[in-house]
Amino acid sequence: MTAPSALGFRAVRRAPQQGPRWSLLRRRSAPYLFIAPFILIFALFSIYPLTFALRLSFTDWRGTGAATWVGLDNYAYLLGNPAFWASLANSGILWLLIIPAQVVIGLVAAVLLNNAKLRMRGFYRTAFIVPFVTPLVAIAQIWVVVFDQNYGPVNDILGAVGLPDIGWLTTSEWSKPTIALLFLWKTTGFAIIILLSGLQSIDTSVYEAAALDGASRARQLWSITVPLIRRTLMFLVVLQTLAVFQMFAEPYVVTQGGPYNSTTTAGLYLYNHITRADLGTGAANSFLLVIAVMVLSLVFVRLLRPKD
Amino acid sequence: MTTVDTRRSRPAIVSQAFMVLLTLLFLSPVVWAVVSSFKPAADIIRDPLGFDATSFTLDNFTAMFDSVPLASGFLNTAIVLVLKGTLILFFAPLAGYAFAKYDFPLKNVLFGTVLVTLMLPIIVLIIPLLLEMKEFGWINTYQALVLPDSFGLAFAIFWMRQVIASVPDELLDAARVDGCGEFGIFWRIVLPVIRPGLAGLAVLTVMNIYNDFIWPVVVTTSDSMQTLQVVLSTLAQNISGNTIGADYATITGQLLAASSIALIPLLVIFIVLQKHFINGILAGSVKG
Repeated sequence: MTAPSALGFRAVRRAPQQGPRWSLLRRRSAPYLFIAPFILIFALFSIYPLTFALRLSFTDWRGTGAATWVGLDNYAYLLGNPAFWASLANSGILWLLIIPAQVVIGLVAAVLLNNAKLRMRGFYRTAFIVPFVTPLVAIAQIWVVVFDQNYGPVNDILGAVGLPDIGWLTTSEWSKPTIALLFLWKTTGFAIIILLSGLQSIDTSVYEAAALDGASRARQLWSITVPLIRRTLMFLVVLQTLAVFQMFAEPYVVTQGGPYNSTTTAGLYLYNHITRADLGTGAANSFLLVIAVMVLSLVFVRLLRPKD
Repeated sequence: MTTVDTRRSRPAIVSQAFMVLLTLLFLSPVVWAVVSSFKPAADIIRDPLGFDATSFTLDNFTAMFDSVPLASGFLNTAIVLVLKGTLILFFAPLAGYAFAKYDFPLKNVLFGTVLVTLMLPIIVLIIPLLLEMKEFGWINTYQALVLPDSFGLAFAIFWMRQVIASVPDELLDAARVDGCGEFGIFWRIVLPVIRPGLAGLAVLTVMNIYNDFIWPVVVTTSDSMQTLQVVLSTLAQNISGNTIGADYATITGQLLAASSIALIPLLVIFIVLQKHFINGILAGSVKG
């Protein structure tokens, strides 16, 4: 408790009537005051709409007129509707196309960036993060042009090396990979930086010991690096899982959910209820999606929890 | 250890090759879009990979400014940025400080609400929020674009808690002994110390607000209130064939021009602040 003078504050600042009890009270109440703005925003724009949505999900309200109580009909309708499950499956397939690839590419790039011997490290770090700072709508539109089957440069390049044209946006086989590529392109740089932060917290002497033991680089990555950055990996995977299951703007702009609903993600399917003014079903869909996302997040937190 | 260098050269080449490939993949769409936006519209489609600097023109840009209200989109985005950015950059560190440096009853429950908020994306709240905005009479207003974002605030608080946790307690106690009030400690000690983390959060926040799309789409009903991203997306709808009479090449040219212009502010902010941004992410991320 020494060195107060170093900070340059004078004890005079405390007014005489503010005894120790007053300052204790202030200290006790301070954190609540500091959090109050968030709680206010949370209550007004999360809790209130959520309770409203909960009531709405048991009605057939379409935005105007009287709402009729329909009990669990909306939930039953959704759970019995193949289109609802298809939207979840689409998001699930996108998750599979995105997350493993992102973790592997991200890990390799982060490990290389973390090596002081790599030349042009600063340049790579900047270049990788550029997609992350580009506006999503702008880049989604660029995607539409770049992957156009007839006029896009990607098929031009494929043609130049003798490969056939691919209907990136027009066939249901390729539409998901095209959306996945957009997501990967946009966010992998961010993943690399997150993973790099984990790597920088590792004590490098662990590797020297492993190198002495003759462990190969790949072996070191898998059995030393990965366990040591488990928490960072968990953070990344949970963050990206939330993002993938909420994905909306990418398919909305690039494919409008097509062709044949192959890119109608969980988020876009939910949005479609709004455009049809089917608000009761939309609200029920919201809750089902929240439950799905929470369960998924908890599963990953469990899976990647450190063993201690 | 002289042999090590020769043994290492092969992995070094492979590493460099991997990094160069990634760089090409990450940069080429942006570079292609910006370069193409200066090409005559017909050429973009006829020869997407062709490059002829002598034919460069600003036609796509002038046509685009004639057909979409990009300037008002920029203005609206700027207004939202300033208002919302200020709110988040003040209240998120404040709450993050409370969570990182105080022990108080209900702390875990309250932090739990922050985490739950992160799992409640705007998309699930969109219907009731929209109805709430109608109730408040807030449709088509700046307050509707600025305030209803618990998610953005919660993310920033989560991030700031990580950053502030690393500030040494001794520093705070010393200020307290000096008679500094609780808010004074935050304002004069915590904020200056976490400036790098704050700069990172600032760039992240600016990006999120600038890119925000779903909420502005549903809550703005008039052209004059649309943010930049909403204005941009109307061009994409034109390209999917909603505009009768406009041909694919013309719209593609305008689209690339608009996208290029939208890219510029963020790229400039990022390049100027990149060190802070990357260090800020490094500071706020979960480690270990």
